[in-house]
Amino acid sequence: MKNKIKVFRAMHDLTQEDLAQATGVTRQTILAIEKGKYVPSLDLAFKISRHFNVNVEEVFQYSDSVRTVDVD
Amino acid sequence: MLYKDTMKKNTFYLFTGCMALVLLALFWYSVELHTPLLIEVAFIIGILIVYLARRTVTDIIEDERSAKITEEAAVRTFQVFWVGFCALSIGVVMEILYIPSFPRERSAIRPPEILPPRMLGYLQLVLLCLMIFTYVGFRIYYARKYGDWEIDEE
Repeated sequence: MKNKIKVFRAMHDLTQEDLAQATGVTRQTILAIEKGKYVPSLDLAFKISRHFNVNVEEVFQYSDSVRTVDVD
Repeated sequence: MLYKDTMKKNTFYLFTGCMALVLLALFWYSVELHTPLLIEVAFIIGILIVYLARRTVTDIIEDERSAKITEEAAVRTFQVFWVGFCALSIGVVMEILYIPSFPRERSAIRPPEILPPRMLGYLQLVLLCLMIFTYVGFRIYYARKYGDWEIDEE
């Protein structure tokens, strides 16, 4: 899961701490998401994107390379 | 501290540390008196008080990422611990089920040995250490995996 949180933060002139407080998580969690170490829950993903007034797809992009599942 | 409705994160950590010291003193006292019930009851009450105090904390202690770290570490610890616990338990159960079959001599019959309390204590200590070290190990592993020690360039 790729994300553009850092870009949106820069656009809105927000620090990780500001975003963390606005979304009810720790700064370390925002840092981990930005670095791709942690994939946020849907709830948190929506909270972050709503905070930037954009759709969730604009902030988070699903990457096929993470995991592929064979249906057949 | 508890009579207040809310508590700050650092106050909570201080409170938890004080509670641990009280429990340690009570443990020592119950060892001196040789009354295990005292520390057992105190431990349950102490943990309940800490859980209640935690609910009054206003700062963020645990968000979804740290909850996930705790969850993953707990599940993995359980997966490892139950194997160790069963292996040790099977050995003890084997002792109580020991019945000599068709002894040829009367001297071959021996009464079933009951595990002495001291040995049971050592066994519990081994299990407790296994559980704690496994949990801490998995916690460090998952904290690292989910970016707990990531360096920030900000």
